[in-house]
Amino acid sequence: MKNEAEIRAHLARWVAERSNHPRPEEISGDTAILEQRLITSLQVMDLILEIEELSGNSIDVSRLRPGVFRDIDTIYRNFFARQAE
Amino acid sequence: MTNDVEMIAGLESRAGGHAVLSGALLAASRRIDALFAAWAARWNAEEWHFPAVLPASELDRLDYFSSFPHLVTFPVVLDDAPDNLRRLASGEIGEDGAIRLPAIAPVRDVLTPAACYHFYIELAGSRLDRSRYLTTVASCFRREKFYRPLSRQWNFTMREVVCLGTMEEVAGFLASFREALTRYFSRAGLPVAWQEATDPFFGGISNPRLVAQMVDPVKTEMVFSGELAIGSINSHRSFFGETFGIGRDGAPAFSGCVAFGLERWLYAFLTRFGAEPERWPAELWEPA
Repeated sequence: MKNEAEIRAHLARWVAERSNHPRPEEISGDTAILEQRLITSLQVMDLILEIEELSGNSIDVSRLRPGVFRDIDTIYRNFFARQAE
Repeated sequence: MTNDVEMIAGLESRAGGHAVLSGALLAASRRIDALFAAWAARWNAEEWHFPAVLPASELDRLDYFSSFPHLVTFPVVLDDAPDNLRRLASGEIGEDGAIRLPAIAPVRDVLTPAACYHFYIELAGSRLDRSRYLTTVASCFRREKFYRPLSRQWNFTMREVVCLGTMEEVAGFLASFREALTRYFSRAGLPVAWQEATDPFFGGISNPRLVAQMVDPVKTEMVFSGELAIGSINSHRSFFGETFGIGRDGAPAFSGCVAFGLERWLYAFLTRFGAEPERWPAELWEPA
């Protein structure tokens, strides 16, 4: 599996590719991805698939809580950090 | 309260869960809308009036038909060929109250399901040089599995106050409106709690839009007495700005709205303060 820096860079690039304005380096750990609508509501499912592929774990969509994809810090904490421990 | 609807002077019920209002209750209902309008005036919201229908093609741009096919109601007219019209003229209404329609003309409109959609259609393609505040009251239609007078009607009245602007302008509008309403509920003695909610997307969890709302809540409801949403505060992010090409500050405009269900407010007042509006506390009519 990729290390933390690689995962964060991968996620920033993935979001930037789907968004109109920011470059990957402009997406920091606390950039609000959904609130700023950097990705659309329909792309949330693609983000879930991307996280599943990166982490190697499946995500139970019915158990997703508000805010879990707020920004890259939160995504890393919820879906990757525990694995690394 | 709904079991006692017939006992309230000025309130009759009809099939489809519709309420027929007259006398003091009609006057109260008008005062409730005046209360909403007083809040809208705080933001100098421009008042607009729209037709009861909106074009199906515009609603389709919002993916409305894939999101809410179970809620939509269409106005239909007949194919106007004389033979076809004669079929209706000589037909009969069945015992179940249903009328058998002959061929219908192509359907191009929808009965308004939410008041604020009209604004985005009207402002399509425009560039805003400042934040815009708008309000309208509309007769709305949503098909439901069951109906009850005042609390769940096929045809109901919705007042909305809308802000279009930058992300910060819309967030500021929604936050200060919420504060004003919280003060009002407390002062008026109306038991209303704010609760995050999702829209009733078709297909439930298999609909990606519902999943998006679960992880990024954009709707907060005003829930009366733990049982009934009498209104909601909604952040659309830049969905309508992108969909209808409305720009603000060099980017798609953000938007948000505060929506009030008029009949449900009347239900809440009747339930909380009794069937006689003249005995209701004076604080109810003062926007906080």
